[in-house]
Amino acid sequence: MTNQSALSKPYLLEASDLTKEDVFRIFAQAQFYMDDYEKGKKYDDLKGLTVALAFFEPSTRTKLSFELAAKRLSADTFSFQASSSSLTKGESLIDTLRTIEAMGVHIYVVRHGNSGAAKFLQENTSGVVVNAGDGKHEHPTQAILDAFTIYRHFSKFEGLRVTIIGDILHSRVARSNIIMLKTLGAEVRLCSPGTLLPRHKNIWEVEYIDNVDDAVEWSDVLLVLRLQHERMKSGIIPSVREFSKYYGVTLEHFSRKPEMILLHPGPVNYGIELEYEVSSYPNCLIETQVTHGVFTRMALLALLARKYK
Amino acid sequence: MNIYFEKIRIINPYQEIDAQFDLWIKNGRIMHLSPDSAKTDEDTRIVNAESLVCSPGLFDMHVHFREPGFEHKETTLTGAESAANGGFTGVVCMPNTEPAIDNVPVCEYIANRAKGNLVDVFIAGAITMGRKGERISPMLELLESGVVYFTDDGTCITKSEVMRRAFDYAATKDILLAQHCEEHSLTDNFAMDESALSYKLGLKGYPTVAEEIIVSRDIRLAEYCGNRRIHFSHVSSAGSVELIRTAKSKGLRVSCEVTPHHFTLPNSLLDSYDPNLKMNPPLRSDQDINAAIEGLKDGTIDCIATDHAPHSLHEKEVEYEKAPYGVVGLETSLGLSLTYLYHKKVLSLREIIEKMSVNPRRLLQMDDIVFDIGSEANITIFGLDEEWLVNKSNFKSKSLNTPFVGMKLKGKPVFTFNNGLVHESEL
Repeated sequence: MTNQSALSKPYLLEASDLTKEDVFRIFAQAQFYMDDYEKGKKYDDLKGLTVALAFFEPSTRTKLSFELAAKRLSADTFSFQASSSSLTKGESLIDTLRTIEAMGVHIYVVRHGNSGAAKFLQENTSGVVVNAGDGKHEHPTQAILDAFTIYRHFSKFEGLRVTIIGDILHSRVARSNIIMLKTLGAEVRLCSPGTLLPRHKNIWEVEYIDNVDDAVEWSDVLLVLRLQHERMKSGIIPSVREFSKYYGVTLEHFSRKPEMILLHPGPVNYGIELEYEVSSYPNCLIETQVTHGVFTRMALLALLARKYK
Repeated sequence: MNIYFEKIRIINPYQEIDAQFDLWIKNGRIMHLSPDSAKTDEDTRIVNAESLVCSPGLFDMHVHFREPGFEHKETTLTGAESAANGGFTGVVCMPNTEPAIDNVPVCEYIANRAKGNLVDVFIAGAITMGRKGERISPMLELLESGVVYFTDDGTCITKSEVMRRAFDYAATKDILLAQHCEEHSLTDNFAMDESALSYKLGLKGYPTVAEEIIVSRDIRLAEYCGNRRIHFSHVSSAGSVELIRTAKSKGLRVSCEVTPHHFTLPNSLLDSYDPNLKMNPPLRSDQDINAAIEGLKDGTIDCIATDHAPHSLHEKEVEYEKAPYGVVGLETSLGLSLTYLYHKKVLSLREIIEKMSVNPRRLLQMDDIVFDIGSEANITIFGLDEEWLVNKSNFKSKSLNTPFVGMKLKGKPVFTFNNGLVHESEL
């Protein structure tokens, strides 16, 4: 046991907080839990620690996943959602943080609608902040579980080709994945309508593919993003029909290349970014991602919690 | 307080003076001004002033004093104290108050609040009622009650027809109009400069083109309406500077200002998500900063103005995207200008004094400040080489939202004289 966190940084705010070695350390730990896990089994990694699931923006999957992960590690957890918290009464975020902090919390898992909110909280607490999605900035634990899923399938990153398809501009999942997959040595390309791409094309030093057919031909992995309802209404794309016609992924795409795997952060809009039939395709790993989410989050929490041991 | 400055460097562009004198200010008036020394009296403090400079009182044509309506951020009184502490003897406060400065009673209220102060607080009136960009305000009546120029600052007048009317209506008195240039449909809810970093941080960007579209439109409109006077507030983009340079070369009556934060801080700092770096217009790229520096050098940019925009701690200590736009600037403006422009050999001292006093006063057709025996002292005294750390506990402003805390600056205000009063800076 050491006082040091087993990771380079004592928190996780964005994908670049993790080195390649960090990610593999998380993978190894996740793999251990996966292999070792039996129904009802608990571990002591977070015993005596309190984890706050601070969800200032609605979430189902990520929150459940973290909650389960923390509980399997014997943490005390408590959670609140924006709608039920005092934030709706006009309390400021910093005040909420001070209130929770005063109750004695060690790890904050934070989901927030504003970019940079996780960093803001980390700067104002001595606890450990884990970013569970901040605005349009990042969602690093999604990137960890996506990378873990890719790694478990291909056993490598070097030379692997991943195309991220959909609303890159507003996606925190895309941001975290681009950075993490590049750190791990994969090749990443982006495919998106012009209005959903950043104007500055060289930000991440990745290439762009302008249609799904070419993306399929090039890729080993398709990471399809969810098209948010907000985008459908705002006029930033001409219509859902046009989007799905030109940027939707269909079973036909996979019949051309059955060895290609499909990831999606969920929840899926079937009939828009993905044809429903795709869900029964064997290399559609959406449910595997969910399973991996719990184990990778257990691993992350356990490694970060070593700070308190 | 009566002060005798021994061997002070006096620079007064109004009188083409730049020389060392002994200067005695007694009861708010210049008692002695000569290369030779005078015999002083017991009531006079003697200051060895070999490292000090005396200039006409500094003037900031763009400040937000928040009164009426937002007195928890700043009041006329605290704003004026902040100005005096920063070396300013005159300011123009912006009309984005509640209610807006679009009627005579509000003007009179502010003028009344400013009475008896060391700092002259002038008023900018709104171009349109409620700053809504729809109906023009009673400019003639406002002009009579002391308004020195007009702007809807904080908001751009995006409807071209309304701006055309404003130019036409202002024409009879040759009134100066100023524009906050921002094509709002391109900037709605922006958080920072649109750049590679804004995409990386997931923050909504404000593209420079949104500023340039309005600069360009207003140059054309002002020319079309008969070469009307138009002042561009807080220009932030290289493209705007270039448009204004070209317009000036054509003989159009355009002028502009830049803020100290826009010629000192790059947009790359935003990766801290620090709400004290959030303002409108946002911090721009190195290329834009260089264009501002070039514009200051070649005279395209007439004035340095702070856009002093106070916000309370509880308003700024929030998620970056939720924080209001604005930074305070009156108490760091001179230090930043001396550090970044004089000591880096961008501008001469005389040029800095022109941009911080003479030029804005001339744009607003104010009297020359003349140093003669017997004349009332409207004077700023500053140390040229003194190094200091920006410490907000020495600020007089009611708000402390500045990104410059802890920064080491070279050159600082020391005394401010005006209206028979003197303030010794506590910075």
